[in-house]
Amino acid sequence: MSAISYRGVTVAYPDQAHAAIAEIDLEVRRGEVLLVVGGSASGKSTLLRCANGLVPHTTGGRMAGDVVTFGRSVREARPRDLADVIGFVHQDPESQFVTDRVEADVAFVLENLGADQATLRRRVEEALDALGVAHLRDRPPAELSGGERQRCAIAGALAAAPEALVLDEPTSQLDPQGAEDVLAAVARLNADLGTTIVLAEHRLERAAGMADRVALLEGGRLTAEGDVRELLSGYAGAAPVTHLGRLLGWTPTPLTVREARAHAGDLTLPAPPPRTGTAGDDLVTAKGLSVRLGGREIFRDVDVRVGEGEIVALLGRNGAGKTTLLRALAELQRTERGVVTRAGRVAFVPQDPSSLLFATTVRAELRETLRLLGRDDPAAIARALDRLGLSAVAERHPRSLSGGERQRVAVAAVAVGEPEVLLLDEPTRGIDADSRDRLEAALRAHAAEGGGAMVATHDVELAARIADRVIVLGAGEVLAEGPARDVLAGSLFAPQVLRVLPPFLSVDEVAAARGRGQA
Amino acid sequence: MCARSDQTSRLHARRTLPEVTVPGSAPVRHHTIVWLVWAVSAVAALQLASSPFTVLLVIGVSTLLVETCAEHRGLAKAFPILVGAAAAFSLLRVALTALTTHGGPDVLVRLPSFRLPVLLGGFSVGGTIERAVVMRSIAEGLVVVGVIATLAAFNAVVSHHELLRLLPRAFHELGLVISVALAFVPSTLAAVTAVREADRARTGSSAVHKRRVLRTVGPVLETGLERALLLAESMESRGFARRAPGRVERRAGALSITGLLLLSGAFAGLLARRPSLAAALAATGGCALTIAVIMVSRAARGGRLRTTPMSGRDRAMVAVTVAAPLLLAWLATAGAPLRWDVHASAFPPLSAAAAPVILLLAAPAVPMLLRREGRV
Repeated sequence: MSAISYRGVTVAYPDQAHAAIAEIDLEVRRGEVLLVVGGSASGKSTLLRCANGLVPHTTGGRMAGDVVTFGRSVREARPRDLADVIGFVHQDPESQFVTDRVEADVAFVLENLGADQATLRRRVEEALDALGVAHLRDRPPAELSGGERQRCAIAGALAAAPEALVLDEPTSQLDPQGAEDVLAAVARLNADLGTTIVLAEHRLERAAGMADRVALLEGGRLTAEGDVRELLSGYAGAAPVTHLGRLLGWTPTPLTVREARAHAGDLTLPAPPPRTGTAGDDLVTAKGLSVRLGGREIFRDVDVRVGEGEIVALLGRNGAGKTTLLRALAELQRTERGVVTRAGRVAFVPQDPSSLLFATTVRAELRETLRLLGRDDPAAIARALDRLGLSAVAERHPRSLSGGERQRVAVAAVAVGEPEVLLLDEPTRGIDADSRDRLEAALRAHAAEGGGAMVATHDVELAARIADRVIVLGAGEVLAEGPARDVLAGSLFAPQVLRVLPPFLSVDEVAAARGRGQA
Repeated sequence: MCARSDQTSRLHARRTLPEVTVPGSAPVRHHTIVWLVWAVSAVAALQLASSPFTVLLVIGVSTLLVETCAEHRGLAKAFPILVGAAAAFSLLRVALTALTTHGGPDVLVRLPSFRLPVLLGGFSVGGTIERAVVMRSIAEGLVVVGVIATLAAFNAVVSHHELLRLLPRAFHELGLVISVALAFVPSTLAAVTAVREADRARTGSSAVHKRRVLRTVGPVLETGLERALLLAESMESRGFARRAPGRVERRAGALSITGLLLLSGAFAGLLARRPSLAAALAATGGCALTIAVIMVSRAARGGRLRTTPMSGRDRAMVAVTVAAPLLLAWLATAGAPLRWDVHASAFPPLSAAAAPVILLLAAPAVPMLLRREGRV
């Protein structure tokens, strides 16, 4: 018997010309891990939300077909009616806590289900233990790290002992360790309890290895479903090792570093050339920078610089101070000690693009920046739109766009003013491969024109692809700094390609070396 | 379900996930009843000792507690905003009182005066501004600021969810909605900060003032609405309001409406100068509401998460904070100068005995201060 059965499901939201998902027929089997992949706005979230009736009950719109979850149709059953059989976890752990204590939040679903006192107490303990968060029971969720918060949110869904868990990009906001913890916990729930897992993910480096099947969505349609290896080997958003395997013709296509290593054997390629983005004159420098927030030292005596034509990646776990450092460089954060010298304008793109966007069209959003700078330059707007692949949506409302497109609009709205230095905070968080590629191309173009960029990110693969230099923040200080190849090579969380074929950082480097070798 | 729980139990021994915790010192946590008693004691102290010096002491104690015991930085940030709003209101009140109330020999200034139309009360505005009126109004305004500071401190230090658990079950849903709404205060403040920063960041730190309100309000509202929707989805997905009202709840609802109607009748009776009828209606209405609350609370199914037991330290805190208003009441009966008679003295009195008594209200901060000093 299927756990969740989609039968000819089409969903169209109010005021949307196109259906978010169309004619979906999909069976989620009991006890399996189904990985849902697809680009931004491909309909992944809508598909997931149909599983427990959030679509259409909380979103409105029109729905054709039916979704049957553990024998109950979501047309009749509301999400609250299905809370005992299906748990739902959003990508943003912060927005799903109802109470101010972890333990009380985990108990929330049981109180709503009317569990008796003894059951409630036992289930709360079990859920906290299953996710390894019992020691956090009395903590306010706001105090926890991203990974801890997401595991607590999963515990909150698990407390009702649901038959299935639906997770919508649960690791998109987490550092590598946090993501590892969350996915390890989810894999254990599936292996030990037989909980059916439906998981949507953009970052497939870890998720691909734990999936039983994959469902691929494109433009709201289910274009393929089935074997993980078979489907991901041709998927643009697949993990770097899968792209590497495809490039080098490895069969079967590897999904994990371990599998790729078995193929790599003693493969030899010409050594990659050093990255050419050697910095020119310094555009922004910070010396002896120290910041305290709420009585806590965030970092102390930090020295950083960004030079002309250079892209610097800033790595570190959640709470390491990456955002604070970027804000200090952008003159947005009061510092306790230290000096920041700027040789030009330093613009900052925050983590949440929504905090920047307010105009009615994408073009107006860019025009606003130029207006504030006292300029009127339609050519610059067209150039920025083109560079970030936004020309086709220039007349759309920024908030009607997908997450990846919104992120690109935010970058375009800042970049159109042509600041000398761009500071980007987690620019690839929760965005698809296409948006990521366009952002990377825009950054490279900015550097090629003599600009500098610093990118704070959890995404080591991004750092491996674009960074000339890497800085690792931790324990309130700079733990490592140097050329990307040197710093990333020594990391436990090194990029996949580097772990398989050192000293190569990316698939592009391997492809170039291969080309040179054949020439 | 039981089989699944047994399966879950097997996971107890396998807790090997590494932990990543943001460093920071967790505050010493007092029981919710300690904070309830503290708030009541502080407000009572303000009523008993309304001299400006004692009021300022209570405001100082409230600030100290927010600094040392507040767990929610966002709610702690709301403390100065609420106190500032109370101060602004009090200043406005001082101005209005000074312009419309007259009495006392010391005239500070003479202003032009005019009489308001009868429809607006028909009293005169302006004229002489007397010292006694201004001073008394300032003293009264300060008490208002003190009360707001106390409540704002209570809001910042108490766990709203634990407070909710102390309520009768009948108020669970209502209390939860209020507690969720309160949780939006810090997130909205954070959103305002983020939007303002993003606005400055857009142009590379150039100060921008044009259309600033529009650029702030839009994203903040959007962020708040998005968050509210996600939270609503999270609550819905976890079974909130899953059970439809049963027969008992429907009867209790009818009884509540009857009770409210009776109370309205009591109010009408008071206006019609029928005190005995008003008293009878009020008593019956109150009884109906009480019975309705008891009925709904008893009909509520299922258990509640354990209520945190009070520790010895919590009991000690309750004893110390309750002692403050009791000692002030005793001092008042003993003739200590706890209030300021503006006609009798030019300066507010400072009772040497009252000050240490007020400081008893700072007792909940002591464990945290000792912890900071490394003594516990």
